[in-house]
Order: sequence, then structure tokens, then C-alpha cells
Amino acid sequence: MRPEQERIRNFSIIAHIDHGKSTLADRVMELTGIIQDRDKKEQFLDRMELERERGITIKSQTVRIPYTWQGTDYILNLIDTPGHVDFNYEVSRSLAACEGAILLVDATQGIEAQTLANVYLALDHDLEIIPVLNKVDLPSAEPERISREIEEAIGLDCSRVLQVSAKTGENVEFLLPRIVEDVPPPSGDSEGPLKSLIFDSWYDPYQGVVVLFRVFDGSIRVNQTIQIVSNRKRFEVNKLGVFAPNPEHCERLGPGEVGFLFANIKDLRNARVGDTITSADNPTPEPCPGFKKVRPMVFCGLYPTEPAKFDPLKKALERLQLNDTAFTFEPEASQALGFGFRCGFLGLLHMEIIQERLEREFQAELIATAPSVIYEVYKQDGEVLRMENPSELPDPAQIAEIREPFARMEIHVPSEYVGNVLKLCEEKRGVHKDMRYLSSARVIITYDLPFAEIVYDFFDQLKSVTRGYASLDYDILGFFTSDVVKLDMLINHEQVDALSSMVHRDKAYHHGRSIAQRMRKLIPRQLFEVVLQACIGNKVIARERIPPLRKNVTAKCYGGDITRKRKLLEKQKEGKKRMKKMGNIDIPQEAFLAAMKKDEED
Amino acid sequence: MLLYVHYPFCRSKCAYCGFFSQVRDEELEKAYFSALLREVEHWGRHLDRPRVSTLYIGGGTPSLLTPRDLELLAEQINRHFNLEPGLELTLEANPDSLDSPDLARALAKVGVNRVSLGLQSLDDSQLSLLKRPHTARQGLRAVNAVRSAGIENLGLDLLWGLPNQTPLDWLEQVGRAASLEPEHISCYCLTLEKGTLLQRRAERGELGLPREEQLEAMYMQGAELLGERGYLHYEIANFARPGYFCRHNLGYWRGRDYLGLGPSAVSTLQGRRWANPKDVLRYAETVRTGALGGDAAMLSRGQRLEEFLMLSLRTREGLDLDGYRDLGGEELLQDRAEVIRALRERELIGVSGRRLWLTTRGMLLCDSVTGALMPELE
Repeated sequence: MRPEQERIRNFSIIAHIDHGKSTLADRVMELTGIIQDRDKKEQFLDRMELERERGITIKSQTVRIPYTWQGTDYILNLIDTPGHVDFNYEVSRSLAACEGAILLVDATQGIEAQTLANVYLALDHDLEIIPVLNKVDLPSAEPERISREIEEAIGLDCSRVLQVSAKTGENVEFLLPRIVEDVPPPSGDSEGPLKSLIFDSWYDPYQGVVVLFRVFDGSIRVNQTIQIVSNRKRFEVNKLGVFAPNPEHCERLGPGEVGFLFANIKDLRNARVGDTITSADNPTPEPCPGFKKVRPMVFCGLYPTEPAKFDPLKKALERLQLNDTAFTFEPEASQALGFGFRCGFLGLLHMEIIQERLEREFQAELIATAPSVIYEVYKQDGEVLRMENPSELPDPAQIAEIREPFARMEIHVPSEYVGNVLKLCEEKRGVHKDMRYLSSARVIITYDLPFAEIVYDFFDQLKSVTRGYASLDYDILGFFTSDVVKLDMLINHEQVDALSSMVHRDKAYHHGRSIAQRMRKLIPRQLFEVVLQACIGNKVIARERIPPLRKNVTAKCYGGDITRKRKLLEKQKEGKKRMKKMGNIDIPQEAFLAAMKKDEED
Repeated sequence: MLLYVHYPFCRSKCAYCGFFSQVRDEELEKAYFSALLREVEHWGRHLDRPRVSTLYIGGGTPSLLTPRDLELLAEQINRHFNLEPGLELTLEANPDSLDSPDLARALAKVGVNRVSLGLQSLDDSQLSLLKRPHTARQGLRAVNAVRSAGIENLGLDLLWGLPNQTPLDWLEQVGRAASLEPEHISCYCLTLEKGTLLQRRAERGELGLPREEQLEAMYMQGAELLGERGYLHYEIANFARPGYFCRHNLGYWRGRDYLGLGPSAVSTLQGRRWANPKDVLRYAETVRTGALGGDAAMLSRGQRLEEFLMLSLRTREGLDLDGYRDLGGEELLQDRAEVIRALRERELIGVSGRRLWLTTRGMLLCDSVTGALMPELE
């Protein structure tokens, strides 16, 4: 029983974290009777435990909702979208599968930067947008002011704005008719060659790759041989179905329909988000705008705290990658931390999520080094290197120039913090682009900032200078020439690779000094002198010295003291085991970490 | 075998003392003494009247023992142990309990031929800060008493690194002590032990303790001065005229077997080590039930090796490299060539023949140097 095309509505919900997207989705499903009550699973859409904890949906998931309005049966496909800029590309593909979107804004908070960015994405895809204010039951709700804000920021007509409380269910019943009425039905030719968009995929250990897709033209059937447009790989569809919200199998899906398929696909790279599925016999002449291979922008080293945990960590990383092609890793050996991996992520949130998942699955502590970005190194001979690790930097004589990534950053902030934000952006080598008032109380500040500054500690600092009231969004602009240098750290004149970093020349002195000082505080005095140096090339820009001990002796040691003294020495020896031996000195791991982690003091 | 007897009582608790000692109590003392005599008998029988080369009665303040009790103890030991001719018999004494020639003569009569006198300082303000139960004058009187009793092996204990002490102050103390012409001088750096009055005061910042550079100067210059006065620096804290090294203590550093009697005393015999209960009543109970040495544990080869290294390095004669290797240790000169080179460069150690020894500066860093040479963990 397939619905007629004109009785399908595909929509998604655009909302900031905590603005109530999952609660609203639950409410809609309850209203339509597809889930009985909330006792099964709180917030059905948040599939993973982790997503629930963080209150963020990382992978999209569709739900097919049957709904009867004025005697007609409709099918509403809710397509869940990730909310964060790191997953910008996935958001864009999810939106491409819809004809409409609900813009859900917390009536006590107002519209946030990332939400705004996602609304622009939706407008780019010509989506019909239905503004909805949530949490109107709260005393601090200001629906009128927030409506005006939305009108000013997006130019969206808010005269018919819906005011709901997802928590209490108030007014949610008026949302469904609006979707039916405002969101256009899908167009598409049911007789044409199959054209469907992959908007999500993940690896299921039992079934292989699960593909979520939206059909644009033609139809897809069980046993059909499909072809992935980007790589021309062919697969036979074993199973076809829809989530309602539990998986229900079907034989055929036509234009406008949204569903999942299994086709014995083992590798997630064969079903990337954004790719087009077509028929092997009758391929579409006009595939979807094509998929973009998303490339990691942020890198960090991940190391097991114990060397014996290297293999388990590797297995955990492999498992994670099955489900996340945007995440990369390769083995790396660090003098200071032993064997580990250099991992690449789309952004900081992506990095945090992966780290947390790893710690959970891998059930062990990880050492993560400070995040860094990728650089483009233009060599004299014309070769261009994408450099993930400072140790890959060629000899300075061969380098024509180094380019670093810049991002355009939009910061939404209450007007009283404008001064702080401008100051912070200037400190971070930002170039001021724009500043406009959303309302007299809220401002959007636009800056172009080196991405390296953003990943280093920008978020933490922004939070502290705005008391957490700022929200932001960024977009990578590209790579631009920059006076970036490699800062090396030397311990007793020996270079420690793991401690090298790329920094802007203007900040190298401060940064080098800060690392040397932090290390000095964590390295105990010992028999021999320890000299720490920060260098650019051969030039020493900071130096710290830990003078050798002058006195360390047990005053007396007779018959009764011997055991105690020996145990003391054994304890000392145990302590040394956890340190890294460099020549005749011992450096505690904390000292390396202090240098590799973010600067917490300034 | 070395024999040690622990006497756990003191007239009062000193401000820096972290040892197990108790203020005198007649009942407790009685219980202690009878248990001690029984313990002497126990081990004498158990070990079949072993040969004893040195006897050291320490504490506490063993000079508080009455001449009568001391005599009983000596007789008991003589009965159950085989005392070698030329036995070194040391008694630790405090000036306040050894300030009359009669008392000193009584000691000599029992056979005490070496007195280790807890002088600590010849400065009354320091003595009172340390809560010593005597004055500098009493100290001098005790020295005279020992001498007049004809005891010709006298050791003086001095403390350095005291609050507000300068290197000059210390050198003055050393000079004055040396001019009393004792055969032996021990110089202990003040150590702030947990739970002591002095440690609490230091935590509150009430004590102007010398800085590290000053301590280094005190140690180096003190050792130099004593050298000039004819004292050999034979162990980190010990100086003596030739022929007057404390044989008992040297025995510990050379890894000889020792039997310790009395509460909290530790014994090491044939690779087994045990300690008596610290509490006097529990000690007495252990003696009564014959459970002495019941918790003796065999030292592992690794532990013996570590102790050999750590104890040898305390002495000026230093570590016997062959002996160390034969015990299963590394061939240090080869296996630790790099660290040994660096230690020699810093003039912390010397190597002559097959011995590795600490320089005076090295002695001040003995714990670190020992740590650097210890066998590495896998």
C-alpha cells in the first residue's frame, strides 16, 4: 500500500542543542500513535546512549509517521538532522531530502548561530520553513521578542508562528496540520530512471551497511540491482523498509519516499552520504549534485596510557571508523608517549564525541594531545604538501610558503559582551568582517579567524568572556598564506618530536615560554641539570633550567632503619618507571602532557 | 654477630624525635626489663649461644638504666651469648643521665667501653628549641665524667641544619666539640619526622630552617674542619680518629648479621628479617608466648642486592664492585657506564680499583646516587 506522491510530506527539524528537538519529535510520534507512551525510550530519535547524554543527535534517523487530516491519510517523513557545524555536510544532505523544515527556537533563548546557519542551508535548498517557538510554558519565555528576532535575522514571516511546549504537549497538535498544508508534496517522475539520495548510512555489525535514502525519481525494489553513482559499484537490494519508528519491510519505494536498504555492502565508503543510488540497468542521467569527500580538519594524537593497550585501542578505532568515514587515524610513535595514533576529525565536537566513544568502548583512559590543524606547504619546486604533523615539515630552504586554514566565524552574543568578543577575536589574529544588531540586545559579530586559533582554545575562552551566553558557527574559508613557524622543544639539547608545534611567528615567543615554564613546574629536580629550550630553527627563544639537587640523603641508617630506607628507594624507582628516561634524566609524563595540552593558565 | 639491645624509655620526648620511645613509667619499665632478660635467654638458647663481636645498647635513653639493672643485663647476656674477647660494648647516653663520675664508673665496671653521648648541641638556645632535657654545661660535665671513669672511646652526637643556624654557627659547634677530643663524632642533619613537634612548627612556618645551599655549605665545611682535626669521614654522618670507627655500626653497613632485642628492635640473621612489636606490653606478650621472630621474612635476592648497594655507598670505602656482581648485580662500570661517567663528571663518585665510592659532595646526594645506580625495573 504505497501512498500517492501528493500525500507525502518530508520535513526536518532545525534546532539548537537543548531547544527541544527530540522532545518535540517524541510528542509528534505520541500524537499520531506510533509510539504509545514515553516508557519505551525517552527521546526516541536519539539512538545512541552517548547522544542522549550529550543531548545531541549525531547521526540522522528518519521516522515515517502516518497522519490523517480532514479525511485524508498522509505520510509524514521526519528526517532528523545533526545540529552541529562539524556535521555541516551531513546536515546539508539531510535537508536536501526534504521539502520543508520546522525551525524550532527556544522562546526563552532566541535563535543561535548554528541554527541560523542551518536555516540558511535550508533556504539554499528551497525548503518551506515553519517557525515554531518552544518552551512557551516557561515564565521566562518571550515569544514576541524572539519572533521579531527571527523576522529580522532571517526575514521569515512570523505572523503565523506556532507557540508550543514540547514538554507539556501544549499546541503541538496544531503543528501537524501546518506541515500538511505548508510543506509541498514531493515532485518526481515515478516512471523515470531511479534517482535517490543517500542522506545517511552507518555500519551495523549484523547487517552490514545500512543506507538511508530518499527517492527522487523512479522506484526502488527488493532484488533490484542498484548502482552507486560515484564509483559505479553494483549491489543487489536484499531488504527494503521504513522506520515507523521500528523497521518495517516493504517491497518497493517510489518518488518522495524515504526508507532504508541493505544490499550486502560491507564498506561504508561505498555508501557515502551525498552519493546517488540509481538503477544498474537504467542509470539516471542527472544524479544528485554529487557527494563531497569530507576531509578532516582537526588532528590530535591519541595514546593509550599503558603501552599494552595499543592493540585494543587500534581495534576500537577500526570499529569506530566502520561507522564514521570522516574520522581518520594512522599509527604514530612519540618519543614521549610511546605508540599511539594521529587522528583526524571534522571539527572539535567531532573530536570530542570520538574521544568519548572511544573511552567508553575501549574502557580505558586515553591521552589526547592538543588539537592542531592541517597546513598547506608550498615548496620551491612547486610541490604542495598537506601537512598534518609538524614533523613532516620540509627543510625551511625548500619552503616557498605555508598556508593555514581560515574560518569565517559568526558569533551571536548579548550586546554587553561585544567588547570582550572583539578583544578576543583580535587577540586570536582575527580579521573583523561585520557586526550587526539582531535586536537592541543581541549582536552578530563576523570575523575571519585562523582555524588553528579556533581549535586551540577559542571556544573555552569565548565561553569565559561571555559567561556562556555566546553561540557561534563557522565555515572553513580555505587556506591563506601565513607566517607560521615550527616551534621545537629541546630537553638537554635533544629535540622532542612530540612537542613540536606550528605557531604564528608573533605568538611563538609567548607560546614557547609558556610551554617551557609549564614543563619546568612539573619536572622534579634531580641529580643532573635539566635545560628546557624552545627553538625556531636554530634560534633559542625561551630557556628554563631546573638546577640539580644539592642534598638528598637519609641522615642515619642503622639496623632498624634499613627496611624503611630500602622501601623508600623502591618507591622512588617505581616512580621513575612512569617517567621517560632521556639520557641521565627522568621526565614525568605529566610534563610532556602539559606541553602537548592546551595552555590552561593564560 | 652484632647484638643490639633497645631501651625504649626517655625522661621526656624531644621535639624532633620520631623514634619509638616512651616517657618512663615504673610498671612498664618492670615489664620491659623482665621481658628483655627472657628474650636474651630465648635467643641465647635458640641460636645456641652465638658469638657476639659488638654489643650496642641504644634507645631511648639507656643511660637511664640503673647500674644494678645494667649489671643484671650484662650478666644475662654473658650467660647466654659467647662474647668475643675485645667486645665493643657501646652504651648510648644522654648528658642529663650521665653527669656524675660515679655513674660513669659503674658503667665501666659492667664492661661498657664505648659511650655514645647525645650532646646534639653546645648551644643552650638550640637545646631548648629541640626540647633536650639538658644544658650545654651538663654536656661538658658528662664528657668529663666519662673520661674520669677511664672510658677511652667516646663518641659525641651533634645535630646540624637547625633552625636559624648558619654555616658559621655550625662550624663553631664542630670546632668546640672537636676540642673536647672525643674519639668519634656523629653529625646528623636535622630531619623533620612526621608527627613531631618540630615538623608541625615547620609546617606553620615558625622555623627559619637553613636553605639547601646553606646545608650544603655546613656539610662540606664541617667535614673539612673535622678532617683538619684528624677525624676520618668514614660514613655519611660519622667521623672518627683512626682505629675508633664504630665497629657495631660498620657491621650494619657491611651487611653483617645482627640480632636486635627489645621492643621495636629489628634483626637480620641469615637472610631473614623480623622486627619486635613496638609497644612494650605487646612486646612482653610476644616474649611470654615465645612468638619472637614469628613474622620473620626471607629477604629476596633483589632486596639483598639493593641493600648491599645502598648500605655500602654510605661508607667511604664504598661499594665492592666484584661483591656486587657476585651477588647477582650488574657489572656497573660497563652496564651503567653512561651514568657513572656523568656522576664522575659532577664529582659525586670516585672509582678506584674495584671499588666505587661517594665523594663528600656525593654523600650529600647519597639517596639520589643510589637510586641512579639501582637495578632498573623491567
